Amino acid sequence: MAHPHVEPPEEKEPLGFLFWICVGWIGLNLVGAIFANVLPLQNPLYQNYTSINVGPSLHHLLGTDDIGRDIFSRVVYGSRISITAGIGAMIIGFGVGAPLGMLTAYRRGRFDTMVTTVMYALLAFPGIVATIAVLSFWVPRDLFKIIVVIGVASIPIIYRIIRAATLSVASRDFVVAAKVQGASDRRILFKELLPNVAPILISFLLIGVATVVTIEGALAFLGLSVNPPTPSWGNMINEARTVMAQNPWLVIFPSVALCLFLLSLNYIGDRLRTHFDVAEVKL
Amino acid sequence: MLRYVSRRLIQLLGIVFVISVGSFYLIHLLPGNPAAVILGNAYNATTKAALYKQLGLNRPVIEQYFIWMGHVLHGNLGTSFISRVSVVSTIRAALPIDVELIILSQTLALLMAIPLAMVSARKPDGPVDRLLSAGSFTLLSVPPFIVIVLLVLLVSIKFGLANTGPSAYVPLATNWLANLESLSLAAITIAISSFTLYFRVLRSDLIATMQEEFITMARSKGLSRRRIMWRHAFRPSSVTLLGSASVNIGGLLAALFVVQYLLAVPGLGYELIAAINTSDYLLVQGIVFVVSVAVVIINFIFDFIINIVDPRISRE
Amino acid sequence: MTTEASKLLVVKDLTTTFATLAGPLTAVGGVSFDLNKNETMGIVGESGSGKTVLSRSIMGLQQRTNVTVTGSVLLNGQEIVGASEKVKRKLWGTEVAMVFQDPMTSLNPVMRIGKQIDEALRVRLGMSRADAKARAIELLELVGIPSPQRRYNAYPGQLSGGMRQRVVIATALACTPKLLMADEPTTGLDVTIQAQILNLLEDLKEQLHMSVILVTHDLGVVATRTSKIVVMYAGRIVEMGSTREVFAHHRMPYTRALLESSPKITNPSHTRLTTIPGRPPNLLKLADGCSFAPRCAYATERCHVERPELTPAGQPGHSFACWNPLTSEREVVVA
Repeated sequence: MAHPHVEPPEEKEPLGFLFWICVGWIGLNLVGAIFANVLPLQNPLYQNYTSINVGPSLHHLLGTDDIGRDIFSRVVYGSRISITAGIGAMIIGFGVGAPLGMLTAYRRGRFDTMVTTVMYALLAFPGIVATIAVLSFWVPRDLFKIIVVIGVASIPIIYRIIRAATLSVASRDFVVAAKVQGASDRRILFKELLPNVAPILISFLLIGVATVVTIEGALAFLGLSVNPPTPSWGNMINEARTVMAQNPWLVIFPSVALCLFLLSLNYIGDRLRTHFDVAEVKL
Repeated sequence: MLRYVSRRLIQLLGIVFVISVGSFYLIHLLPGNPAAVILGNAYNATTKAALYKQLGLNRPVIEQYFIWMGHVLHGNLGTSFISRVSVVSTIRAALPIDVELIILSQTLALLMAIPLAMVSARKPDGPVDRLLSAGSFTLLSVPPFIVIVLLVLLVSIKFGLANTGPSAYVPLATNWLANLESLSLAAITIAISSFTLYFRVLRSDLIATMQEEFITMARSKGLSRRRIMWRHAFRPSSVTLLGSASVNIGGLLAALFVVQYLLAVPGLGYELIAAINTSDYLLVQGIVFVVSVAVVIINFIFDFIINIVDPRISRE
Repeated sequence: MTTEASKLLVVKDLTTTFATLAGPLTAVGGVSFDLNKNETMGIVGESGSGKTVLSRSIMGLQQRTNVTVTGSVLLNGQEIVGASEKVKRKLWGTEVAMVFQDPMTSLNPVMRIGKQIDEALRVRLGMSRADAKARAIELLELVGIPSPQRRYNAYPGQLSGGMRQRVVIATALACTPKLLMADEPTTGLDVTIQAQILNLLEDLKEQLHMSVILVTHDLGVVATRTSKIVVMYAGRIVEMGSTREVFAHHRMPYTRALLESSPKITNPSHTRLTTIPGRPPNLLKLADGCSFAPRCAYATERCHVERPELTPAGQPGHSFACWNPLTSEREVVVA
């Protein structure tokens, strides 16, 4: 619809109250994960056979599991695995994929064609199958290997997204104008391109972390994540399946923790996108 | 058009080659003596000799690859030492289940997503739209394995139903009603996660398309909103839908595997995880290869279809 | 003396307000005019004057959310403002149709042009597929597209800009509407094509006995092709009347400024172009008084405080909104 030509309103769409609640929740999770050691938590590995499958109480905030371990502290410690996996994998993925994507989109030429062909070939390889395959063969498993595998698998995906975003920004007139004025490549990359690609980058980063956390959860379900007794949200839920009938809390609490974390991340990423009015990047 | 197809076919072959190399090399990721690990308990002089013959493990790596590829091209993916069954026959038995699950779940997901997205797009930010969007957003954050666990929790505890397990599966040919029943829980769970994606993508694309000038022009011709939605808005938007479907294959596979494993539906996902757990590496390798190639081919077909629907692309 | 009943279009006090994040924005304020059968009218103004919003509001085509339209628009006695979408749909295409500015975006890029034309014929007039196709090809010929049978199956992207606009015109005329709104129909086209399209519109108007409303910023376009014009500024009519009269004896300084700022071929070379100082006002923050006052050379105290209403000038049908109208006669030679 033809809107009259008018200066854009001074206010952007506000981030909203819910946004900050989600930020707070993520912050809380981060604090819990980082400072788990120093917080007044029960020992997540200590098996107290006198209180098995106890419901939530003052002593055990979320109750105990079927071998007497405190659920609350396990959930908090479990966040470590999931969050570390999420952030670690994304550091690898974005650390390699994003600069490559921006560079090739900006420079074009032979370097671009080469890298893009390789990346698109890698993209065709179904990432999840590769991840499962590598993790099943590359034993013994530890968190580091998981982070590396997921991270590397995400590089082509991130590359494609960032490259598409940079392409659409680089073709805009103000970038061409800067080029014509003789600005150096580095200047254009940092001053013109980066600030415009940044919102997309950040929002996909957040969604990426959420996805990796989900993948880690799924892997744990398939027995491909860290081994027990180390708690992770995924393997807590997995182990709880057998005793679901007796102790439903065992399934519910880590599930809720996981879902709330994911929900918050997704919501923050989404709001940031609407706030900066970034159009959906067509892949 | 022909040039486009042939160009993509060559790309396809290249990718299949890369996949074959990758799948082949997996065995060599194993720590220690691959033969010992593969054979596991069955390790003795005879089996070791048989394995060496099968894989050529005493030859240089590159030669091993060609030996393996040679077998593969003849339709021989090896015989599992754990189950004594040829890999190909295991795959052949499990594959139809996956195909059926995919068809069932995606059809279900699309049947729900398309009309709901249209309703949402007709009045963006209206009450219906807000409800649907919030709902699908929340569903996004609930991974399929949690959906299953919660569903099973609900279903089995409340209703005492336990209609799953490898023995519970009934092939289509035998009894189609029982077949659908045995796959229903799995199909519904997968459909839910696919639905979330389809709904969000289609909704936002429809809303964007509805802002375009040609929609206003279509309105000015006096056409009904429903006709405009279906005939004018949906077609360009369906391209995005197809595109997102092909991008989503990764996620779909993940959901497929997890759901199969959890509900013990004997498809390729189930076999794969079971094989990993029993250290049946030959089977794992075979499944990985077959699934990867299948995905690549599916992507290729998708791209082809997208081309037909939106002719603008092939003219590039 | 034409009576109310015989008028094709009667617009009274049409006002369109948008609800934006920064507050309500009145894009069109209190517009009133009428149009007879077989008459061509021009709506002239700069970008941002509200003329496009006006044309859509007249048709009732504005979006459904965040927009309020008040006033009255009677098309052949049928009220459009406030009418339900269903009622309006009956009029669109058969009573009134629109030709849009940019043919690249107003045609569905993934649908063949033939289908886009006969869609209206099949759905609205109930023609059979074969009849519709035949009629569509006739229409393509009517608008001057060569080898129409072949072109019937083309996609919009395969045609040139001028041809696309002809297709748009053919689509608009498919159901022989009585009123054709042409919203800047030639602005996006090459200068050489512009005259062709405008001539085409004139011919079609004669052939099909239509009335045409031509919305444009280009005075040259309306000079010889319209019998009356409406000059818009900041969403309001500032002067209107018969084209001849307004060109020759305009009273509102804005109209003069508009006329003076179009280059004339009879001027000696290197004549400096006259521009209107300042910028069009921010419609969100309209001050009291005449909207043109900040840029007007003749503005007085009163202009900044009180908004002038349309008052009649000498000739019938000619009215203007100004506290200090121009009094000297000024012949303007139009190229």
